[in-house]
Amino acid sequence: MLPNRSRTSVLVFLLPPLLLYCAAVLFPILQSLFLSFFSWNGISDMEFVGLENYVRMLTADDIFWRSFFNALIYLAICLVLQLGGALVVASLLTSLRRGRELIKTLYLLPAVISTVAIAFLFVRVYSIDPVGLLNQVLHWIGLGSFERAWLSDVSTVLAAVSAPEGWRFTGLYMLIIYAALIAVPKELEEAAVLDGASKWTLFTKIRFPYIRPVWITTTIMATTYGLRGFDIPYLMTNGGPGQSSELLTTYMYKTAFTSTDFGYASTISVFIVIECLVAVGLILFMLKRKADS
Amino acid sequence: MITQTAPATPPTTVHPTPSIKRRRRKPNLHRTLSRVLIMLIVIVQVYPLAWLFLTSLRTEQDFATGDPFALPSSLTWENYTRAFETGDLGRNILNSFIVTMGANILIVLFGMMAAYAIQVLGFRMSRFVRGLFLIGIIVPVQIALVPLFIDYSTVNLLDTYQSMIIPLAGFALPMSVYLFSSFFEYIPRETYEAASLDGAGPYRIFGLITLPLSLNTVVTVVLVNSIFIWNDFIFANTFVLSEELKTIPLGLQNYIGAMGKVDWTATFAAVCVTVTPLLLVFLVLNKAMIQGLESGATKG
Repeated sequence: MLPNRSRTSVLVFLLPPLLLYCAAVLFPILQSLFLSFFSWNGISDMEFVGLENYVRMLTADDIFWRSFFNALIYLAICLVLQLGGALVVASLLTSLRRGRELIKTLYLLPAVISTVAIAFLFVRVYSIDPVGLLNQVLHWIGLGSFERAWLSDVSTVLAAVSAPEGWRFTGLYMLIIYAALIAVPKELEEAAVLDGASKWTLFTKIRFPYIRPVWITTTIMATTYGLRGFDIPYLMTNGGPGQSSELLTTYMYKTAFTSTDFGYASTISVFIVIECLVAVGLILFMLKRKADS
Repeated sequence: MITQTAPATPPTTVHPTPSIKRRRRKPNLHRTLSRVLIMLIVIVQVYPLAWLFLTSLRTEQDFATGDPFALPSSLTWENYTRAFETGDLGRNILNSFIVTMGANILIVLFGMMAAYAIQVLGFRMSRFVRGLFLIGIIVPVQIALVPLFIDYSTVNLLDTYQSMIIPLAGFALPMSVYLFSSFFEYIPRETYEAASLDGAGPYRIFGLITLPLSLNTVVTVVLVNSIFIWNDFIFANTFVLSEELKTIPLGLQNYIGAMGKVDWTATFAAVCVTVTPLLLVFLVLNKAMIQGLESGATKG
């Protein structure tokens, strides 16, 4: 604490940022909570309906549950691609002697591209007529029977819209995990190697425990980002065909701005917030407990 | 772009024990394998982008009929001409620039001020305020869409630059506060105490000590946030309707014509044009950006 600070000086520095933050983040959260107890289309009078929206969401809305499970699958695919991919590439990278910076830069490139551009790009990657990149590769490696229009096939569309999101940010997580991996003390690793530890033991017994705090952070980042995933599915398929690639976020967006059912849309967004908080709580609980044992 | 800082395996020339010598060969095979694997992964990662660029130089017939992996049979800039005719790319880029600058100024200035109040000045509720800011990191941005849409329409802010800048800055603020306060921790107490003894108040200390010292963190915060703000789709798509205010992501959507028919080669040309400014900044400053991303998250 500065010796001669005054109460006013604290307020001068704190109030403007806090006001912006309240206006853009905190107040809207409370407002959503408030709206979720109302039925309102934005024009007529608001009507208080109590818990009706919640009851409808949890018991009577099939699309909601469909979107919820889709969102979980979307999250799982993103996590595997982002964290799994990041861990593998970061580990491989530590064994390289040259070109690390170049690879880091190249690997991060997709993060710079806007989601609209990525959506355009992947529509072409998945297309069948004219033959897109994916179908062409399948054809070459003799898996021609798997060729299909990935985005109109209900059994593949969800995976097809999840993969670009995973692809896009894996470089970001790779950088973070790589930075943690090269901070593992060399003496520890060398001692283990002298004791005859294999690459695998080295990884599970020395490296991974050492980077666990960073792993927790990245898992939380990737999970909360995965749960708010919206742009790519919205732009590529708009949730379709049918509801087969509908996520909670796209469903909420359509409820709000296509059906202008602001009350019910707020109920869904409250659910998304709770879902994020629960997810973060679970991650902390599971990963921390493992660390203690 | 070869690193000097990354610690290579330390030279173990001092009396190599037999066991180390034996292991020397294995890592070599291992290293070759890793190298091949990593090349493959990087190709998968980067090829789609290279393909996007190549396609923007193809003729339309070439694109419609050819093998997607083939090199273009002839190069043409015609797609770029059509891209500029179809959309108002200059306008879109300018708008994205205005929004990115506006949000970044708020994020840096306010982030620094809040961190200064919490970390340097200190006050009784500082832990609580820090906790409040944590909420913004976890909570998804979609929660704010409906409320902000309603609020904007009551105060006539819909369809303005501010309607995009406010939530973009608001949701990025927590990370910025967090990065600045973890940097301020490293500024020694004595610096402040000395300045105080010389009679400097909190405002002068902020302007003369804290601000100049944190320039590196400013660069980090600006770079990392610019990626997200430059490419923001959801706020722009929700709050902006008029052509004159459309940012790049919205402008690109104009390339989807009636009946969902898309002029792909022109679209890819437009994508290449709009990606260029950010890409250039990224390639020039990627060291600073990578460092920022690494330090930002590992401190968490």
